[in-house]
Amino acid sequence: MNCAGSMQAPGLAALPPGRSHLLFVLLLLGLSALLVRAAYLQGVHNDFLQQKGDARYGRVVTINAHRGMISDRHGEPLAISTPVESVWASPRDVEATPQQVKQLAQVLGMPIEEVKNRLSDTSRDFVYLKRQLPPDQAEKIVGLGVPGVSLRREYRRYYPDADVAAHLLGFTDVDDNGQEGVELALQEQLGGKAGSQRVIKDRRGHIVEDVASIRAPKPGSDLALSLDSRMQYLAYREIRLAVEQHHARAGSIVVLDAKSGEVLALANWPSYNPNNRAKPDTRVMRNRAVTDLFEPGSTMKPFAVAAALDAGKVTAETVIHTEGGEFAIGKRKIRDTHPETVLTVAQVIQKSSNVGAAKIALSLPPEAFWRSLSEAGFGGQTGSGFPGEAAGKLRDYRKWLPIEQATMSYGNGISVNLLQLARAYTVFANNGELKPVTLLKREEPVVGRNAYSPATALAVRDMLELVVKPGGTAPLAQIAGYRVAGKTGTAHKLEGGRYVNRYIASFVGLAPASDPRLIVAVMVDEPGGAQYYGGQVAAPVFGNVMGAALRLLNAPNDAPLGNVMMPPADVIKEEA
Amino acid sequence: MTAASLGASRRTLPEYDETLVWVVLALLAIGLVMVYSASIATAEGSKFTGFRPSYYLMRHSLFVCIGIAAGVAAFRIPVQTWQKLAPYLFLLGVVLLALVLVPGIGRAVNGSRRWLSLFVFNMQPSELMKLFAVLYAADYTVRKGAVKHTFRKAFLPMFAVMALVGALLLLEPDLGALVVICVIALGILWLGGFNIKVFAGLLFALPAALAALVIVSPYRMQRVVGFMDPWSDPFGKGYQLSHALIAFGRGEWLGVGLGASVEKLFYLPEAHTDFLLAVIAEELGFAGVCAVIVLFAALLVRAFAIGRQAAFLDRQYAALTAQGIAVWLGVQAIINIGVNMGVLPTKGLTLPFLSFGGSGVVVNCLAVAVLLRIDWESRRMMRGLSI
Repeated sequence: MNCAGSMQAPGLAALPPGRSHLLFVLLLLGLSALLVRAAYLQGVHNDFLQQKGDARYGRVVTINAHRGMISDRHGEPLAISTPVESVWASPRDVEATPQQVKQLAQVLGMPIEEVKNRLSDTSRDFVYLKRQLPPDQAEKIVGLGVPGVSLRREYRRYYPDADVAAHLLGFTDVDDNGQEGVELALQEQLGGKAGSQRVIKDRRGHIVEDVASIRAPKPGSDLALSLDSRMQYLAYREIRLAVEQHHARAGSIVVLDAKSGEVLALANWPSYNPNNRAKPDTRVMRNRAVTDLFEPGSTMKPFAVAAALDAGKVTAETVIHTEGGEFAIGKRKIRDTHPETVLTVAQVIQKSSNVGAAKIALSLPPEAFWRSLSEAGFGGQTGSGFPGEAAGKLRDYRKWLPIEQATMSYGNGISVNLLQLARAYTVFANNGELKPVTLLKREEPVVGRNAYSPATALAVRDMLELVVKPGGTAPLAQIAGYRVAGKTGTAHKLEGGRYVNRYIASFVGLAPASDPRLIVAVMVDEPGGAQYYGGQVAAPVFGNVMGAALRLLNAPNDAPLGNVMMPPADVIKEEA
Repeated sequence: MTAASLGASRRTLPEYDETLVWVVLALLAIGLVMVYSASIATAEGSKFTGFRPSYYLMRHSLFVCIGIAAGVAAFRIPVQTWQKLAPYLFLLGVVLLALVLVPGIGRAVNGSRRWLSLFVFNMQPSELMKLFAVLYAADYTVRKGAVKHTFRKAFLPMFAVMALVGALLLLEPDLGALVVICVIALGILWLGGFNIKVFAGLLFALPAALAALVIVSPYRMQRVVGFMDPWSDPFGKGYQLSHALIAFGRGEWLGVGLGASVEKLFYLPEAHTDFLLAVIAEELGFAGVCAVIVLFAALLVRAFAIGRQAAFLDRQYAALTAQGIAVWLGVQAIINIGVNMGVLPTKGLTLPFLSFGGSGVVVNCLAVAVLLRIDWESRRMMRGLSI
């Protein structure tokens, strides 16, 4: 205003303009300094500050990987991982009213004190309140909206067949690692590799931003087992029925593909539901068919006979003097349940003569007998890879006494697991070739090792067919429309080094006998009822399972449907 | 300039300071948006607000409306009336400050008794006191103009009054308001031309007094130490400041984007009040901070211009009041921004026009109304019109 200069107001001197200017400039300088400071913080020092920020709310979270599915040979799911939610809390960030804590405890089904305790542990950033909740419960937790309490995606293993294949499949722990069975054996393939991701979380623990993926989760591979879930169910149902009907302690059953050695079914009773987080004791959880050894008894006789046949010591028609059912070696006596004076080799099998078997075994040098048994897979493991598989026992032949060699012929003084016994019978189905067993589905046919000549194998198979005929020990193992070859066993149990009057009833057989497709081995531990012979307890289980399984496979009949012939009198019994 | 052109420019000259109005409206608008952004997470996650995300937005909007209405009303009051009322208003302020300390009437938040409960909302008398201090100090300076070079007559009465107000504010405690009110009083005495030797003495005495206060009250000591190195105890004393600084660092030049602040997600306490600028810095970056600072600078430029214009017209009271308001708003903004950036100790002062806080916004609007009134009167006097 150019007119201002001429209007020298008298009061102007009262307020010194210099002071006003100084104050004004000081204030503007202050603001300018702040501008510089802002530029420094935001443009120069920002890396350091952002680093500090990342340390506060940047977190690396793991992303759980999906565990591979286990299916049966036809793709039916046996073990699948389903997404579930686990509830966790960051105690430092939890702001919950007593009312909310109470609701939380209610929904979680936990005591209030327990919830309070976990939430009060402020020294930790992460505590699980409860893991693996069903979705509806998880939703309720979200509904409560308690700050600091969050959900975390996890996977829970689900076994659709529950107790049917429990022993074979095993189970996983809460962290999705295999603990038993196939889940443990094939953990490497099944287990996924958890990924990790860098995220930003707010102070209450909620993820507000995904910054970067550090490692993508790698899901585990799906696996197809050799199992056939229909046969598995069949086997499980029948062994359970047999154990309950005969008041036995336990029972096991193995179904093998006779040609490929694949395990088509493997079941035990008692069993348990692996879907329950609480597990029963090991007595119930044990996969007895693989982890338990037992003396096989008479189911061993075919291998003694085969050894002698192979060595050319006997033929099927060779007559063995069975000494009226009593035969002494040193101080020990070997006895037959059905005393006979003479039996052919074939009849020794059919009637299950201990004396006959012992004499046949003693016709061989110990080393030859030992070698023959080894080649049939006795002693050592089956190679199934099942965790905790017990190695069968076959003692060194150089330490054998004659009585030992004799008793081994009828399955005393030697121990096997059921899978091993079933596998040994593949030699009779494959012209003397011992097939390796597997729990995984096989795409290619496998070549095993030859244990016997084809002629020996066929000869023994013919003898085994006699066992189920009238006059044999197991007419109850007959199946309408199919020829069956098999062998019973009724072994005294060994307790504290002495044989006691408790038994293991067993039956191992193959069918159709003309061209065997399946091998079924059944073992019942301590039948408690009046019946305890393999032919009475185990043979019917075999018959039911084998018959139904062959029909499942649509195996062509190799006998007329009216082939089942029951003897007029009682079944021929045997012991050992 | 010819007489004709002068006449033409006079006709087009607006009747009030448009620039000042736009600057203040811009600050209020930025404040409204940023208070909402900064408070949305805490409001949604807090039982106190009933989990309503717009809780603070609604209240802040209401206060801005009340502030503008109060401003429009205050604009109608002549400066002369303000001068006449100044001692009584000041007295009212003192009474209100005393009432705050009375149990049952005053309301304490976080250990400070700063609020009067007025049923619907709470009033903060210390905010009101800042305006009253300006009005009163200006009147005082004008009245003591004749004796302004004698220490006893010119300074002592003012010191006595300030000591009373200061004691009341320390009892709350509200150190931030005390600092602002002291600066206002001293600033106005300085502008009034009071003896420069006294100010020279104060230059030494005041820091000594502040240092004494800090040493007596340990919590203030902590605040002072905390701001000097927030990283030495980042989860304790330096917690708030370290998060404010992180917010600045995250914002960089252009910000992480409106609404995208992480610091406001329960990390930075008082994000919508004292530390609103940190959220602005994070979401809008240096650009946002720069805009706020430039707006405050513009406000100062206008307020000082209005003051000088009044002084030029020999309206001493109006001149001192206008510049006093400038000092008040300028110093409070500088302190708040400085606290946010870690160059000043934490005070508990809001950012004028922007921060959430009903009393603050309303009183700031009143102050601007007084400024505009002074300017309006000056313009009318220049045109030879009656006031």
